[in-house]
Amino acid sequence: MTRHKVRRSGLTMPVVTARFIDKAWTRGCDFIVLDLEDSVPQHLKAHARGLIKDAIPNVSKGGAEAFARINHDLMEADTEAVVWPGLKRIKYPKTEYAHEVRRLDEIITRLERERGIEPGTVEIDPSIETAVGVANVFDIASASPRVREFGASGGGYDLSRDLGVEMFVDFDQFAYIRGEAELATRTLGLGVRGAPFVPNTTGSVSDGERALRQAEAARRCGLRLGGGGLNPAVVESHNVGLTPTGEEVRDAHSVLEQYAIVQSAGETWKEIEGRVIDRYEADRARELLDWAQACAERNREKAEAVARAQSAATPKN
Amino acid sequence: MTRGKTSRRSWLLVPASKPDEIASAAKSGADVIVLDLVELVAENDKPAARQAVRGAIAAASASGSEVFAQIAPQFLGADLEAAVWPGLAGVVVSRAEAVEEIAEAAALIACFETEREMTADSVGIVPALETAKGNHAAYDILHASPRVCGATLGRADLVMDLRPEPNGELHLMPYLMQRLVILAGAAGVPPIGAWWRAPDRGLLATPENTYDAGHRGRAIGFKGAMCLKADQVAALNKAYERL
Repeated sequence: MTRHKVRRSGLTMPVVTARFIDKAWTRGCDFIVLDLEDSVPQHLKAHARGLIKDAIPNVSKGGAEAFARINHDLMEADTEAVVWPGLKRIKYPKTEYAHEVRRLDEIITRLERERGIEPGTVEIDPSIETAVGVANVFDIASASPRVREFGASGGGYDLSRDLGVEMFVDFDQFAYIRGEAELATRTLGLGVRGAPFVPNTTGSVSDGERALRQAEAARRCGLRLGGGGLNPAVVESHNVGLTPTGEEVRDAHSVLEQYAIVQSAGETWKEIEGRVIDRYEADRARELLDWAQACAERNREKAEAVARAQSAATPKN
Repeated sequence: MTRGKTSRRSWLLVPASKPDEIASAAKSGADVIVLDLVELVAENDKPAARQAVRGAIAAASASGSEVFAQIAPQFLGADLEAAVWPGLAGVVVSRAEAVEEIAEAAALIACFETEREMTADSVGIVPALETAKGNHAAYDILHASPRVCGATLGRADLVMDLRPEPNGELHLMPYLMQRLVILAGAAGVPPIGAWWRAPDRGLLATPENTYDAGHRGRAIGFKGAMCLKADQVAALNKAYERL
């Protein structure tokens, strides 16, 4: 499996709402998405663009990566406003065609050059939110090397509107869409942002307990990356839910010990306590240990950044 | 050619390197015995396993089972040279990902068929689509040669590390299974597989759970399934009977 950045938790917030933006660095997120799209009213779009450049360092003080979500129909103007040093990714809503992604790539490439940003820094995160987008999913995911993670984990509001699919039901109404997106993602070797089906019949965005169940389900079925949320109540659930537990780490060590014994006996597999130990289990154990280590490093990095930001904010006597 | 005409409800995989296991597989009642050169044979044992295949074909078919061999795309030449002997009904190409692999396998098989005085076009090919790339290219792979006589996801759940979701389904597998059934239908070949659910991931499933997996598999269009233990064979024969 490709080694991904640790992006378990995130919050999407309107860049125009100062009280959200100013507190963003205290939320414990792996990433913050500065929104220009749905959470910003039409009459504030131009104003919002002017706020991004300063918001980037502000929201990343606590170690979070700063992302921006642009408007599909205002792509060029929005992109001009968001590609500044510190920005790591642009979320491109309602992507429908590969050429849209290529066009966005060209603009980012120019802005990186003009603004002294290392070429290739800014990733593109195309959101699949329409039927056309689903039909073109492989072409979209393969349209630019800036697309490094992909998925249709949101299975979201816009898609349900576009297709007339109900959002909050107790069965997996997006199985095909998710499958198409994930097969494309895996075929291209990108980071998989998937979500196993967990019933959600309430639509609450602030239910930390549900968020934890969802994140744990994702972790248990081998997924690593989170899509973020809208309410601070879900951040810790996503961080914890997508980090291997101590028990899983101990188990991985024991699987590797058992597999070493299987190998030294010249066997390919062995049943040990009702469980198959083979190279697949061993690969999975190694990958889990790598991921656990990456999560621990990321947690440390964020804690240090928060400590620095706190001491900078404390008035000196 | 008898491809697709015979009943292939149960496909029992055995390591080509283990004569004892082959002998008991021959008595299992499996419609097909697959002599494995890939998954179940340790790296050091592979040369000996290749040597053993020719004799193993006769041993495996002693009670009327058809015999396939499972081969690896990266050892196409060596594995096919070892496996394509009179009595072999076909090969399973593990982790098939590209049309070229199947085309090359077909060409090599044709050479060995001629060289070894076998009936022309008697050896079929079942691509095992165990990776994302293989599944992505499934339509083309299944049309790559007229020898293609089936399609399976093989051990995709393990190769792609697809684990149980809260509802018991293996992540992504319901999608991949239904996709394979459709694409195999489009290619006119039988899809081979069973609908496994947690906690079963092949090797250790009980006969009861194997039957359930076969029953569900049959319900979505599979025409027989692979298994790894002799005691799973009867369950699959029952689940896929009269197909």
